[in-house]
Amino acid sequence: MSGTNTTAATPGGSIGPHALAFRVMRLCRPTFQVDTTPLRFDPFDLLAGEDFFDDPIASDNFSSLKSAVDSQSIGSDSSADLTYRTRLLLDQPSDAMGIPGLLVLPQSFGAIYLGETFCSYISINNSSNFEVREIHIKAEIQTERQRIMLLDTSKSPVESIRAGGRYDFIVEHDVKELGAHTLVCTALYNDNEGDRKYLPQFFKFMVANPLSVRTKVRVVKDTTFLEACLENNTKSNLYMDQVDFEPAQNWGATLLNADHHSSEKGDKISEVFKQPTLIRSGGGIHNYLYQLKMVSHGSPRMSVEGSNILGKLQITWRTNLGEPGRLQTQQILGSPIRHKEIDLQAMDVPSVINLEKPFEASILFDVRLNLTNQTDRLLGPFEVWLSQSGLSSEQVVMVNGIQTMALPRLQAFGSSDFHLNLIATKLGVQKITGIIVFDTSEKKTYDPMLNLEIFVDAN
Amino acid sequence: MSELDPAPAPAPAAGADPLSKAYGSLNEVSPDLSVLHDLACRGSWLTILDKVIQARPHLSKPHHHLTYFSYNLLSLIKLRRFSDALNQLDSLDHSLDSPNYLYQTYPKHYPNQCGSMVPFILRVLHAELPAKVSGNSRQETLDRLYVLLEFVRGKLVSDILSSTSRALWEKRECFVINSIISHHLSLKQYGVCLDLIKYLIQKSESDGEGDDHKLDHRMGLLSKLGYIQMQYGDLDGAKATFGLIENQVDDRVELRNLVGRNKALIYLVGKDYVSAVREYDECIERDGNDVVAINNKALCLMYLRDLSDSIKVLESSLERIPTMALNETLVVNLCSMYELAYVNHADIKKTLSNWIARVAPDDFDSTCTRV
Repeated sequence: MSGTNTTAATPGGSIGPHALAFRVMRLCRPTFQVDTTPLRFDPFDLLAGEDFFDDPIASDNFSSLKSAVDSQSIGSDSSADLTYRTRLLLDQPSDAMGIPGLLVLPQSFGAIYLGETFCSYISINNSSNFEVREIHIKAEIQTERQRIMLLDTSKSPVESIRAGGRYDFIVEHDVKELGAHTLVCTALYNDNEGDRKYLPQFFKFMVANPLSVRTKVRVVKDTTFLEACLENNTKSNLYMDQVDFEPAQNWGATLLNADHHSSEKGDKISEVFKQPTLIRSGGGIHNYLYQLKMVSHGSPRMSVEGSNILGKLQITWRTNLGEPGRLQTQQILGSPIRHKEIDLQAMDVPSVINLEKPFEASILFDVRLNLTNQTDRLLGPFEVWLSQSGLSSEQVVMVNGIQTMALPRLQAFGSSDFHLNLIATKLGVQKITGIIVFDTSEKKTYDPMLNLEIFVDAN
Repeated sequence: MSELDPAPAPAPAAGADPLSKAYGSLNEVSPDLSVLHDLACRGSWLTILDKVIQARPHLSKPHHHLTYFSYNLLSLIKLRRFSDALNQLDSLDHSLDSPNYLYQTYPKHYPNQCGSMVPFILRVLHAELPAKVSGNSRQETLDRLYVLLEFVRGKLVSDILSSTSRALWEKRECFVINSIISHHLSLKQYGVCLDLIKYLIQKSESDGEGDDHKLDHRMGLLSKLGYIQMQYGDLDGAKATFGLIENQVDDRVELRNLVGRNKALIYLVGKDYVSAVREYDECIERDGNDVVAINNKALCLMYLRDLSDSIKVLESSLERIPTMALNETLVVNLCSMYELAYVNHADIKKTLSNWIARVAPDDFDSTCTRV
């Protein structure tokens, strides 16, 4: 089904000449005819030199010349005009834009994409010189996976189609599968000799993917950002109607837009001239950024175990004269939510520690920490120590005294404060890393990834 | 064009002012201009080519040659003889800005005139020709049109223009911008089209309320904006634009039909073809020559599965108002319908194309019948 839009396929699987033949036209929406350079002009751009009317005498004669031109080209009664002046002269200046408002039927079968609606005008013609009777007409779409009946008149057959006559119908099908499709039209009818004849005709077409959607997920603190890049794989520009993110149950989503600089606001014209979101044909892209936040339902600590589904994109677009298309992505997954069973927070850390004597080698200090059980069961008892496996060759901050500290059990969602007595051995900003929490009953090690900084100053 | 070199001309008769009544009719502007104009309006471009050849030896003034040259070039382009047109344009001895094309260079012919005797259409055709010759040269055409726009605007800042001249140059600015839009439109560069139309609309509004012409101009621009929005799929935008028009029109038939056709389009994109046909019928009732309404009504009938009537609508318009209805788009539509409706569509299209050959203007593109 390429080339001209109307197709009469070679009948497949039938024997002998048929009185009937199917003719098919893909009926997408019509298009405004655009004539680039309609070659229509103001008569005075042709009749005289461009500065001719700078001359006062010529200028004085302009109106008489104009009426001569008008009367000649329009005639006394415009309805009786027998010239083709509208092909030469502008009626309005905007006629030169070449979009007179005439619609033109689709001129080729064109490409068809997932999410669009396939619409077809089907005409069954009787080209014989006799009447055919009792016609059962069927039209169905066959794909690799299924057959979808679009029309079936076997319950109430078309009584007759006279010689030279036609029976027309329009079928529609929402395209939800990629790949090879076949429109199968069949007719079962009685010819003039009362023989039952079977006419099948096949019209093949391919369905392609209109868009590729690439997503990236970034987590910054409590906020998840989803970036979606839509690439247009079709041969027409896509006017993006809606690109909505439909969040999963626990998420809320906001589309982030760059602030549009609008110097002129308020007036009607500016409203009308909003720049459309168009994605250019053949590889144009547009990026959308969504800010996702966990929505808390009841207990903030409750979470859907094991689910990292963020949601999916609902995309609707329009092309030529509003021809619609719609797609929905698969579920977009976030980074796996590592739901921590225990949480360690710093409650009180001295910001500056002064070495009291300039040449003192080290100083002791205290940090107050809080350990929380984030599960609904009893955890612990725990041991806490400072891992020595840091990358730095020299350990600057160490635990003072007993290297492993014991902590009692924690109730479900319970927490307790404790002090860690540390010793710093070097001046400057120092990091305290590698605090390890070990659950002695479950034999489970937690690295709460708590990073603290202290400033060791010389007084 | 060697005839255009400065040469002594017969001195005007002493005493009488030869120019006082000189430009009262077209034929006084250039010989047989009235005939040329008439032929052009009838689309008799082949006859114009003959006439130019016959007339050239008898042309006496420099500007006559440029006028005939323009008609000749336009005829070639209208007839899609683009390489001949290119050769013609190349044969011009001087650039369009040469002093050879200034009135004051020939004081004996034009004792009181100064300025350029180049018909403005020559500049336009010079700009448009590359895109006509090859679709790949559209950028060259756009560049030339933007240069032309600067040229026109340069003219408009000068204060020596007569009011007639100024009005013409303002029209020319508008014309060139419209031509630029048409090229951006075919390149599907819609953003820039919107900006340019916005400029034109704001300019027409700043010119004040004005007369019917100005209102028609503005409504025409807004309608076209709506078509463009529809074309790329912004149906809400198009509705808003058409809404602006409805609030401003008066009771003249042309404007009522414009509004009616726009309403029909809104129905059409909403797939309410029955209401669209009703709107188009009202337009055709008011103005039987509304070919846009006729053509679009036929399409709606087809989307309503009424192929027979859609064919009838187009065929009867060709019979009733051939010079109005005969255009390539309507014929393309009719032929698409024939191809769908008739197994023997080749014969039927042949009949149509024979009829077209008898009545059509010379510049009609007969390939639209796909015979």
